[in-house]
Amino acid sequence: MSIRNVSRRRFLKLGATAGGGLIIGVNLPGCSFSGALPIEQESDGFIPHAFLQITPDNQVIFYCPSDEMGQGVRTGLATIIGEELDFHPRDMVVKAAGLHEDYANPEFGVQATGGSNAVRVFWGPLRQAGADTRALLLNAAAQDLGVSASELTTDNGYIIVGDDRFPYGDFVTTAAQLAMPTETPLKSNASFKYIGNEFSRVDALAKSTGAAEFGIDADIPGMVYAVVVRAPVAGARVLSVDKTAAEAMPGVVAIVPVSSGIAVVANAYWRAKNAAQVLEISWEDIPLGQVSSAQVRTDFEAALAEGDTVEASTQGELVAGFDAASSTLEADYFAPFLAHTPLEPVNATLHITDNSAELWTGVQSIQGAQGLVERLTGLPRSNIRVNNLYLGGGFGRRGTLTHIVEVTEIAMAIDKPVQLLWSREDDIRNGLYRPASLMRIKAGVTTDGIVSAWDVQRAGGNITADTLTNMLPALLPSLPSSLLNGLSGFAEYLFSQWTVDPSSVEGLHETYDFENHRIAHATVDHGLPLTFWRSVGHSYTAFAVESMMDELADRAGIDPMSLRLANTENKPRMHGVLQTAQAAMKSMTVPDGHHLGIAAHSSFATDVAEIAEVSIENGEIRVHKVTCVADVGTAINPDIVRAQLEGAVMFGLTATLYGRIDLDQGEVKQSNFHDYQILRMDRAPAVDVILVNSGGDPTGIGEPGVPPIAPAVANAVFKATGQRLRELPLKLA
Amino acid sequence: MIEFELNGQPVVFNGASDTPLLWAIRDHFKLKGSKFGCGAGLCGACTMHVDSTAMRTCILPVAAVAGKRITTIEGLSGDGLHPLQAAWVEHNVPQCGYCQSGQIMSAAALLSSNPRATTDDIDQALAGNICRCGCYPRIKEAILSVAELSYDATTEETSA
Ligand code: FES
Ligand code: FES
Repeated sequence: MSIRNVSRRRFLKLGATAGGGLIIGVNLPGCSFSGALPIEQESDGFIPHAFLQITPDNQVIFYCPSDEMGQGVRTGLATIIGEELDFHPRDMVVKAAGLHEDYANPEFGVQATGGSNAVRVFWGPLRQAGADTRALLLNAAAQDLGVSASELTTDNGYIIVGDDRFPYGDFVTTAAQLAMPTETPLKSNASFKYIGNEFSRVDALAKSTGAAEFGIDADIPGMVYAVVVRAPVAGARVLSVDKTAAEAMPGVVAIVPVSSGIAVVANAYWRAKNAAQVLEISWEDIPLGQVSSAQVRTDFEAALAEGDTVEASTQGELVAGFDAASSTLEADYFAPFLAHTPLEPVNATLHITDNSAELWTGVQSIQGAQGLVERLTGLPRSNIRVNNLYLGGGFGRRGTLTHIVEVTEIAMAIDKPVQLLWSREDDIRNGLYRPASLMRIKAGVTTDGIVSAWDVQRAGGNITADTLTNMLPALLPSLPSSLLNGLSGFAEYLFSQWTVDPSSVEGLHETYDFENHRIAHATVDHGLPLTFWRSVGHSYTAFAVESMMDELADRAGIDPMSLRLANTENKPRMHGVLQTAQAAMKSMTVPDGHHLGIAAHSSFATDVAEIAEVSIENGEIRVHKVTCVADVGTAINPDIVRAQLEGAVMFGLTATLYGRIDLDQGEVKQSNFHDYQILRMDRAPAVDVILVNSGGDPTGIGEPGVPPIAPAVANAVFKATGQRLRELPLKLA
Repeated sequence: MIEFELNGQPVVFNGASDTPLLWAIRDHFKLKGSKFGCGAGLCGACTMHVDSTAMRTCILPVAAVAGKRITTIEGLSGDGLHPLQAAWVEHNVPQCGYCQSGQIMSAAALLSSNPRATTDDIDQALAGNICRCGCYPRIKEAILSVAELSYDATTEETSA
């Protein structure tokens, strides 16, 4: 079964709801959350399919299948369905969808959010759902009004016949009796009313008044609060615990072992946290306990020196390419481990009763969350309800669900509703990380500025094996652990010995033509847990590639923008972005002492170029302004696209200027925002976003703004100081 | 027993006097708009007004606010929206939204003491509020739009 099977997008199933409405689902074979839709009937609302409910008083409720973590997905997807339904997304009630196969991400095949794909993959299905529903309402109105459907049209929630306007809600009872049209023709791009318009996000008001509910805000009568003390060296098991002092602390309710460490449960969070500090635990010694930061890079270098690599991609003739080059360069680039630090630390609240469970959290996969509760409690899936509230930032961190395992283990042990909250220290010290990476690039450039040879090796850990280890038990709750261990062990072996984990090397050549290239990989895994981090592999590969492009330009005496243009002749979308960036650059007035650096990168089907205006003040790198040029195809709501790119610049700047997770004998040294700094208002640059629309369907916006910023700043620093900084975070000599 | 004023109402807190104000407000008084981000005074997510001054309440024991006036995001505007909240919607400021209560409370404290705040004033007053989603340019624009409104209003009064 291909997960891209287009037939999944067709509306196939028909049935009746309790409320008398029609129910229709997108057929997604392989998903197992069938049965009644998790939709509460609102005042005789008509539920044409999983995504909509229309009430007789003309309220339209949209059930958003993707998790809102700030990327604006609720507004974006509401706009897509609203466009074809002809109902202003701003006037919709937008709710998080419950768990059902009809909400599975068409590309992942499971209900999950990530990879900047939501708008891209729901673009087709939601337009069709909107168009078919509108056609159904027209048919119902035609019947009720005794006219032919062709005499009717619509306008923002109203059926129009002559001078009369009737709300959609007038026809829902009839609509529920009629067959749902299929394959209704979609609107032409030129006739879009809401797509391409700018209006406030549907969640802007709730998020400006404190009313928006996040996972941490769940409050269940009688609940107790838990914190977990986890291994200071990730993966170490508890050898022994002395609970005496902790048990004597005020408010402590219970101390229970969980698979990741020891949980302290108290009648208040801060009390649990205080008690946790006096818990005495001795942990087993594991190999990661020998690893300190300096050794990480040394080990990467050793692996490359041994040449024990697996090829990821090759094209053309490298030897001939180097022969054709007039200049050749070789350099190493390094990026450290990073934590995600979403501002809301991960948390979950679980209430288990005799034969059911209810979970409140904010995760990037509610299907995974339910699967873990099912696996651990043995309760039937249909009796486990998951409420996915707003996510206080995701960035990849909320795709891993170890906190759901912990809260379930605690709730099973204490027989009370429990809220588990990770402290910021837990988040920084005991999380999962963006892998550290060493990238060695040897490249040759001709006198015409064509990169004629491009030879790259990357050393570091792979995220896919860890991700499978974490996701398989969640997504396959009934598969026995022995089989799961076998599967994730196999993935680890596969990616270190036989083939390259795509996310480890993504972005090392794809932005450019590079006719003669070789990308090779050496897996060096120290055992620190790894996972997706906003823009994944691109977050480090772009730094290496775009720094080297700048070095080549300098060596060959070619303007850096011209070099990039010369090597994107066969990448028309990126070429167009670069041309726009070039024009923007020409019109800039750069103050004395300020310098521009550029970088470009394609990721998540989106092409982005960034120009950073930088100065050096009292030995500090100051970024004043960033111009971000992006081609995202059709921008659903251009203001939200701009906001994502602005935010991506800030997120990337934190990594450029400050971000590093260091290991000392296997323990993460950083612990809170004083030593794991985040960019703040007084260092935030102005961001000017220029959207280039080459036409075509929408592409990703959440992640692609991140990769170019680090190299753009590094390239500007080179201009300002002559120092070529090849390690992140950037540090002036 | 600690008495103080919460969003205009007298309240009594009977729990431990070393409870951080943030948790007293969230878990005892059930006002969840103020957030926990670091627990160490480093991020500003928990910002409330204590007698009109913006304070980090994750490190402020409830005993320290006896007899004082506490305002949370829920009590910022009596009715309707505070001008900053309207500006937040207008400028499409929030992304994940988690930091925004704290940002707005810091901004409101700034504007009440300095209605004509400049970009530099904003940088200083808001530097304690982290936004991991990076909404800074919009936060700044939104505050400036309100500061400029008050500037216009004052100018008109003077010229009238
Ligand atoms: S939670 Fe209080 S400053 Fe961060
Ligand atoms: S909006 Fe997400 S932290 Fe500020």
